[in-house]
Amino acid sequence: MQLGFIGCGAMGRPMAEHLLRAGHALSVWSRRPESAAALIEQGARWCASPADVARHAEIVCTNVTGSGDVEGLAFGPQGLAAGLAPGSLHVDFSTTAPSAARRIAARYAATGIDFVDAPVSGGSGGAQSAALAIMWGGKSALAVRLQPIFAVLGKTIVHVGEAGAGQVAKACNQMVMVAAIEAAAEAARLATAAGVDFAKVRAAMLHGSAGSRVLEIFGGRIVAHEFAPGVEARLHHKDYALLMDEATRIGAALPVSAAVAQQLNSLMGRGWGTDDTSALLRVLEAGTGTDQA
Amino acid sequence: MKVGFIGLGLMGRPMALHLEKAGHELHLWARRPESLAPFAKVNAKTHASPSEVAAHAEVVIVMVADAPDVEAVCFGVDGLAAGGKPGLIVVDMSTINPNAARSIGRRLAEKGIDFVDAPVSGGETGAINAALTVMAGGKAAAFAKVKPLLEKMGKAVTLIGDSGAGQVAKACNQILTGVGVLAVAEAFNFAAKSGVDPAKVREALLGGFAYSKILENHGQRMLDRNFKPGFKAWMHQKDLRIIMEEAHRLGLMLPSAAATAQVFNAIVGSGMGENDSISALMLLEKMSTPE
Repeated sequence: MQLGFIGCGAMGRPMAEHLLRAGHALSVWSRRPESAAALIEQGARWCASPADVARHAEIVCTNVTGSGDVEGLAFGPQGLAAGLAPGSLHVDFSTTAPSAARRIAARYAATGIDFVDAPVSGGSGGAQSAALAIMWGGKSALAVRLQPIFAVLGKTIVHVGEAGAGQVAKACNQMVMVAAIEAAAEAARLATAAGVDFAKVRAAMLHGSAGSRVLEIFGGRIVAHEFAPGVEARLHHKDYALLMDEATRIGAALPVSAAVAQQLNSLMGRGWGTDDTSALLRVLEAGTGTDQA
Repeated sequence: MKVGFIGLGLMGRPMALHLEKAGHELHLWARRPESLAPFAKVNAKTHASPSEVAAHAEVVIVMVADAPDVEAVCFGVDGLAAGGKPGLIVVDMSTINPNAARSIGRRLAEKGIDFVDAPVSGGETGAINAALTVMAGGKAAAFAKVKPLLEKMGKAVTLIGDSGAGQVAKACNQILTGVGVLAVAEAFNFAAKSGVDPAKVREALLGGFAYSKILENHGQRMLDRNFKPGFKAWMHQKDLRIIMEEAHRLGLMLPSAAATAQVFNAIVGSGMGENDSISALMLLEKMSTPE
């Protein structure tokens, strides 16, 4: 298939490589051309603008940082909309506000272009091993066209609902995951403060009812007091702004998420945004006078 | 003075009338023409656009809901910026994001128009009694020119600092009032569910360190079960959203305000947004009672 790909970061690059390896023709553009160099070497075609990518592709994939970035790529000067033919498809893997995804879909629909929000979970590790969870929103009839792409990127592929539904699912994913990281950090704080080895506590919990992927992966970093990412906490902090804003917009009370968001704010305020999110432990240590920073 | 006034709602209407009563000539524009009716018999001229208001006034006061509304009034088609001559002072008394206020101030300055952010506390009652607290941010010279106008609408008029500082002060005010209303509601619900009369508790507490205006005024309205606004719950929700946005931007930990914001989300989500903020009490009662 003729595909386009924009966004060659820690997630986007391995995803694009899987698509190349699966035999698809790939046109790419990047704000920083050097980030696309590795893909060009592997046979991708460099394009001068998003519009140029769109002219060479039936389906364009994007994986960038925020709602504004996606809207800019789609509708900015020399944007995708200027090059996409009616009947073509834009698949956005970024994490954005659900309302932004709905807005983009509606704007494309006016010119006969389809849009799918397909945020992913699994981190750069999941992207590299093609083991991502992909949660997508858009017309269900598009599933057939999306299948060959999704199948080489992820293991769990769920059509959640109409446009924006993928982003709602991603917001839920982030709430559950980061709250679990905070819970693991608080457990570590309690155990350590009580003079108990959290490594042993974690080992005991892992195969019981409190066992989870988060306790396994982030809990491991917490035990090691090793905060290299992983997932940079600033990205979770950004996601929390989206989901708390959505909660306000629809009048939903999310008391635990709100508390977690404040811990993330403190983490950012302390200057630890490029640490792994397991650095939420450092916030707890700082708050009780055992700051090791 | 020739004073423009845009935003003639619950608060804006009595505020504008105070200025007229003090001898100022009002220049008005309203999105909904019926808002102009109370001004038919006073010294007020109505205009077709904010731009026209700006062209006729020395000072324009804006009192609308949120930052996008202020931006539309200032920079929309036929906005204030289109009609205002250099030297005009725009005073925004709405409660908006401090960062948005700074940006509006910068954009107006490009046209030679001064901007003062001057949000208020005191609610509709304060507006009617000209007893508002006004927290201002902007250049001292511009503030000095508009201070006599602000004093016709409020009692305590303070220049807090540079552009945006008024909104920061208002945000602080809303942290204290939001958390405070919820604290009083929690205390009253706690007392009642423990079989103790909240009215007696309030009476006792008013004499001690837990005294506050909120315990006195909002507390009394809770006891009277008078949930009419006052200050609408959805507006407090909006103000808390602004606060939490700024906390996110600045990396600030505001755990109590965050928890309070969620209660206000629940108040609005359960259809009580048009009630007064003290509806927090009804929500807590509902959440503590078997279905």
